[in-house]
Amino acid sequence: MGVSLAFHIVYAALGVGLPLMLMIAEGLALCRGQEIYHRIARRWIRPAAVLFAIGAVSGTILSFELGFLWPGFMRFAGGLIGLPFAMEGFAFFTEAIFLALYLYGEGRLSRRALFLCTIPMTVSAGLSAVFVISANAWMNTPAGFRLAGGQAVDVSPWAAMANPAWLHQALHGTLACYVATGFAVAGVHALALLRGEPPEHERRALGLSLAVAAVSLPLMLLSGDLAARIVAHTQPAKFAAMEGIFETTRGASLHLGGWPDVRRGEMRYSIAVPGALSFLGFGDREAVVLGLHEFPPDRRPDPRPVHVSFQVMVGAFFLMLLPLLWAGWRWWRARPAALPRRALWLLVLSAPMGLVALEAGWLVTEFGRQPWLATGYMRLAEGVTPREGIAWIFLAFLGVYIALTAGLVRLLVTPVRPRTSGPTGQVAFHG
Amino acid sequence: MAEPLLSPVHVSAGVLLLALILYTLFGGADFGSGVWTALAWGPRAGTHRESLFSAIGPVWETNHVWLIFVVVTLFTVFPAGFSALFIALLVPLVIALIGINFRGAAFAFRHFGKHEHGTARLPATAEVFSISSILTPLALGMAVTATAAGRIQVLDGRLAAGLWASWITPFTVMGGLIGVAMCAFLTPIYMAVRVPPDLQEDFRRYAVVAALALGGLTALQIPIALWDAPAFAERLFRPLPAATVLLAVALGLTTLLLLLTRRYRPAQLAGAATVTVTLAGFGAAMYPDLILGQLTLFDAAAPAATVRAYLTVLPFGALILVPSLWLLYATFTRSVELE
Repeated sequence: MGVSLAFHIVYAALGVGLPLMLMIAEGLALCRGQEIYHRIARRWIRPAAVLFAIGAVSGTILSFELGFLWPGFMRFAGGLIGLPFAMEGFAFFTEAIFLALYLYGEGRLSRRALFLCTIPMTVSAGLSAVFVISANAWMNTPAGFRLAGGQAVDVSPWAAMANPAWLHQALHGTLACYVATGFAVAGVHALALLRGEPPEHERRALGLSLAVAAVSLPLMLLSGDLAARIVAHTQPAKFAAMEGIFETTRGASLHLGGWPDVRRGEMRYSIAVPGALSFLGFGDREAVVLGLHEFPPDRRPDPRPVHVSFQVMVGAFFLMLLPLLWAGWRWWRARPAALPRRALWLLVLSAPMGLVALEAGWLVTEFGRQPWLATGYMRLAEGVTPREGIAWIFLAFLGVYIALTAGLVRLLVTPVRPRTSGPTGQVAFHG
Repeated sequence: MAEPLLSPVHVSAGVLLLALILYTLFGGADFGSGVWTALAWGPRAGTHRESLFSAIGPVWETNHVWLIFVVVTLFTVFPAGFSALFIALLVPLVIALIGINFRGAAFAFRHFGKHEHGTARLPATAEVFSISSILTPLALGMAVTATAAGRIQVLDGRLAAGLWASWITPFTVMGGLIGVAMCAFLTPIYMAVRVPPDLQEDFRRYAVVAALALGGLTALQIPIALWDAPAFAERLFRPLPAATVLLAVALGLTTLLLLLTRRYRPAQLAGAATVTVTLAGFGAAMYPDLILGQLTLFDAAAPAATVRAYLTVLPFGALILVPSLWLLYATFTRSVELE
């Protein structure tokens, strides 16, 4: 399941982000009458369509896996988290319809209609992320029911959907999709410029994707701050694990890097910023942060994977911020001039960082919830399938994902070659 | 039955059946195109394959979402049923899932790969596409009929009849074949309306063959049910299901007649109606159970608040979906353009 999700997140994130970029490009083409933006959008179509198709089938795998791997959990929680899934179903449906219209509609629909198709596509793509994240947030902060004799009673699916973790997770997660897509696309175009592709096209595409990244990256910081506060209040064990706080501390420090030594109960090899953690979590440098030792050993997460994932996420953030600031500075100083090659290389290197941060952030929330499947109510072991031999299914799906990804990479990489020799600016899509 | 006749659970069960029918009508036709990609014969077989391929291009992903919709409805409204079914039907559902994946991927890769390399460059994807198009409806058909076969018994999360015997019986094998036949039946009927006249004749021939196959298989299924799934057969002979079955037979014969007289537009309606009524008959016979003899719809249902919330969301979703779907199909049915 985890492996499937890890793959799915990549496809889904790009599936959420690309419609936004298509919408902006088509909008620019229409408003400013600049045909080049339309051509840029049509060039993005191929990866968008393939990613979306694969995201759709890998999403199906996930919905089936819920049943295969977690029948106990679904029996308990299906009625509670079903609602956002049902809404996600509609959102996804809408996205699929308008994507199909947009992709295949060239020649049958007017340009204005094509642009109009990208709007519901973008909105429903964003909404489907928001809805799905609600289900995950519910696992972190279950709400909307009362437990009586092992059964959920007084069920309110609306309250379950609007659980405390939903707001910050949805904001943080959906924005992360835009950041990840912006950087991934920017990296591709930066590489194309380095290879000497026609600069007019590539530079505009790069500018557009960097603009998306530049708008959403600072918002990530704000939503991350919000997330820190809410997690500090609602999921203290996770909060402690993220920073390897073992003993309850007043004025807790923020640890940069380092390794939580579980046996000795302390952080090692880290750079501590005194009071910073208390401030981030509670807005007060002297606030008390609960330590992991406040929780019984069988009810607290292992801080090692949580802290490491958290560091990776934050590190990736800064690795994206740096080239973005540099590129922005250059752009502002000398607008028409090309970025220096070093800046382009940096952008290429930072291309996967958005996805890395996204995956790491997801790992933070998952590892940080252990040993619970639904915090405080159901443990991982209680929800998992009772069946032996689940391993072969796992391997089968792993094989499927690897095959899909290999095919995808091959497909996305090959067309670069014929294009360089072909006439410049020709739209490959029409073939 | 103490429950009122039109409770939220009933409505949701109706929605579930409707979603299954729509998946068969739309998604099934997609699978059918894979079936005929494999079976196409005659001097114009290559053209048939190409026209099938470009016809489903814009719509297959949307059609596929109906399955996700079925699954989501199942686990939102009937979580206990979802849990039991996914334990019992693990193997066929995994097969279907892998089929769906490879099918979608093969399609996408072929579609978006061919522009650089020419059509003949990736023949392997066409084969993957055909094989998985046959395998998937077979497995799904078996899974659906297995709910009626009376072998699914989940005790403490374990299967009484074991991993294989719960879903492989003569009755379910026939169900799987019927599933494939339905898909193969729908596609050429839909295609006949959309292709130029010379191809129309070919697709008409395919449609007649598939109609005969579907009719034969469903007719054969009744004695098999009497012998292999007696509980289901007994339900089938209650007045409402029996009437539905008779109607399906009549519609099937009408479709055949319309095909033989080359009236393609009415044939399309009659064909879709045949499949709809056949599945509705299956649903009517299953009522009031989700898993025959094991789990009723009411026992499988989620808490009332959830069912109500689901039904509250439904009309809003439909309000967006129905016009969008109409737009999609209206845009792409105008005629198939061969590339």
